[in-house]
Amino acid sequence: MIKKNTLTLHSLSVSKDSRTLISVDTEVKPGSITTIMGPSGIGKSLLLAAIAGVLPATFTQNGSVCYDGAELTALPAHKRRLGILFQDPLLFEHMNVAQNIMFGMPQNELSKQQRADTLLADVGLQGYGQRAVQALSGGQQARVALLRTLASAPRAVLLDEPFSKLDMQTRHQTRCWVFDNIRQQGLPCIMVTHDEDDALDAQGPVITITQPEQDTDKLC
Amino acid sequence: MFSTALLVSRWLFIALLIVPVGAGIVAVLLPALSYFPAIGEHHFSLAAFSRLMQVDSIVHMAMLSLFTGLMATFIATVGTLSILAISYHTAMLGWVQRLLSPVLVIPHAAAAIALGFILSPAGWPARLVSPELSGWIAPPVVSLLHDELGLSVTIALAIKALPFMLLMALSVLAQPHLADRLQKQVCVARTMGYTPATAFLSVVWPVLYPLIRLPVLAVLAFATANVEIPLILGPGSPPTLAVAVLQWFNNVDIFMRLQASAAACLHIGVTGLAIIIWLLIEKGAAALFHRRRCTGARNFASWWLSVIAYFTLGTLILLMLCMLISLVTWSFATYWPFPDTFPLGITLIHWQTSLTALSQPALNALLIALPVSVIAVGLSLLVLEQEQISHRATVSPGLKKEAVLFLPLLVPGVAFLFGLTWFSQFIGAGVWLPVLVSHFVYVLPYVFLSLAVAYRRFDIRYTYVGYGLGASPYDVFWKVKLPQLFAPIMVALALGIAISFSQYLPTLLPGAGTIATVTTESVAVSAGGSRRLSAVYTLVQMIMPLIGFALAWWLPLRFFNPAAWSD
Repeated sequence: MIKKNTLTLHSLSVSKDSRTLISVDTEVKPGSITTIMGPSGIGKSLLLAAIAGVLPATFTQNGSVCYDGAELTALPAHKRRLGILFQDPLLFEHMNVAQNIMFGMPQNELSKQQRADTLLADVGLQGYGQRAVQALSGGQQARVALLRTLASAPRAVLLDEPFSKLDMQTRHQTRCWVFDNIRQQGLPCIMVTHDEDDALDAQGPVITITQPEQDTDKLC
Repeated sequence: MFSTALLVSRWLFIALLIVPVGAGIVAVLLPALSYFPAIGEHHFSLAAFSRLMQVDSIVHMAMLSLFTGLMATFIATVGTLSILAISYHTAMLGWVQRLLSPVLVIPHAAAAIALGFILSPAGWPARLVSPELSGWIAPPVVSLLHDELGLSVTIALAIKALPFMLLMALSVLAQPHLADRLQKQVCVARTMGYTPATAFLSVVWPVLYPLIRLPVLAVLAFATANVEIPLILGPGSPPTLAVAVLQWFNNVDIFMRLQASAAACLHIGVTGLAIIIWLLIEKGAAALFHRRRCTGARNFASWWLSVIAYFTLGTLILLMLCMLISLVTWSFATYWPFPDTFPLGITLIHWQTSLTALSQPALNALLIALPVSVIAVGLSLLVLEQEQISHRATVSPGLKKEAVLFLPLLVPGVAFLFGLTWFSQFIGAGVWLPVLVSHFVYVLPYVFLSLAVAYRRFDIRYTYVGYGLGASPYDVFWKVKLPQLFAPIMVALALGIAISFSQYLPTLLPGAGTIATVTTESVAVSAGGSRRLSAVYTLVQMIMPLIGFALAWWLPLRFFNPAAWSD
């Protein structure tokens, strides 16, 4: 049976020189946030890169990524429609705020400008559309980055340690806001992090990656 | 479609560097071996070489090329080392960089002519000390110009080489991971009691030097084989080997061309020898440094490095100031008898005459520089994009490609440009295409190196975000990367235009002397009598590239910058 709007990783693994770095087999339901936990340097970000289709050529991947039962692995990155958010907002600095949000909107979408303005107003940034992105605060940029991703109507959202650069005060607030939005939109989401609090707030399944036994000595 | 274009661009890039140089070398080797059907020479022989060896001063000429090249490179390297040693991680470094960057884009010919202005017996410095201090009431008979040892040539070469090396070193030191590591290592050395300069010499320089060795060797090869500087400042009889090649090539006796070709081949050997000597000097210096480092002296060479650094900087600034003041004063001067410090009156007539005479050469220079630079920038961008998309950058930083880049800079231009000229005359390619190709071969390496720094520093995650938003690789390249890299692209374009403007031999030879640019005209005028016209021509030569850089600085403020439109 094919489950609607579900992202599935079928024994997806990343290896280098025939040594497996990380391997995950899971199913992410719509509106649920699966957390992949583990110490830094273990290859969590590589796993996200493999899902998004941007794994560097020095690594190899096995297994597959499926959405609604259809395999995404064969598609190039830009056809997978998996929105990705990093710890930096990475807003395009040559575009203003509204242009950033419109960049990812589907081509047939009518009145993009109007929709961007509405989206901004919904998150308390009314009138910010024409501003330069550099003029926004860190928290505001993070919000625009999520709006940009959501406006592109992605199949799923990938979060790569998205809150690690925010300060303690805004972190919890931004985190809850991001998770609420993802849940409201019913999007499956995978987050990699080493922060326990991220996993707590995500209220979803947690996959903990530990160092493979034989490598512990070498890496410590 | 886009990925095919990227792949093609990579091969085109390598081919466009190798083919002209390769064809040029082959085409100069054949006449050197007396195979030249156009004048009825069908048999290979070493006759041209044996005739060359009978030229009285041939060894002298070769030694002169060797000496000026090695000395200039040595001065520039020691200058770079000492300036970096005293200014690394101080505010002075930015100041030095801003000061020397404009010198980088001054054409070699312009620098040589300007230096000639102040070294000449009737030059401004001589006037300043006359007649009170020197007692001269007429210009002295002894002249620093055209000296037998080529010292003025060496100074001019060093003035141009130093900023280039320094900026190459700075671009290496700006690589984020390296900068961070070296800064901490210097910190460690400082806490152990080493002075800043000694810490730089023993911690940073051994890491830095191997990374700038190729540019240094390029400087050396260029300095041994440069034509316009010894033509303007060098001794006349005998001249440097490169100048002799040019004179024989232009001789009315067509058979002299065989000898010119043989001499061009000999020049490859001379340049090669210079490189070997340099590598030996490197080895010796490294062994010496190593021995001194082992003693653990905390202030080893510290004093010398500061003395040399301040002397070099001081001399450079003084020379630049004198050059500029002399040129400007001469360009407006009416009657100006020796030893007056200033002319009796000023006039605009020289500027009016020159600007009329220079309109066609300036147009020609633009007609060459614009297409060459635009194509070089476009091709470099495609190659860098290919490198980034195929994730090669993470494997090896395009090492092979970088070595190919230095090919036209390491082979003496005087050799392969002659060959290229032969070759294009042989296939009837006209004059414009060979000139464009020759300029391209020199412009591409600099444009690529300048763009590569910015391109490789571009955060790849922007690309991933773009893909996640559904933008194709082509869209990401065109709508995300290029606009964000607009400023460095404009700088690369301006650099390409400046390099093209400054080319003398690549315009003169393949153009068969029929295409006049500001630089070729300027060199021609400098040999003539009019100091005033020469001053204007040289100033125009300096101003033209600066206009390009001013635009490169201003355009990014207006375009792809939402901050300029919102308030």
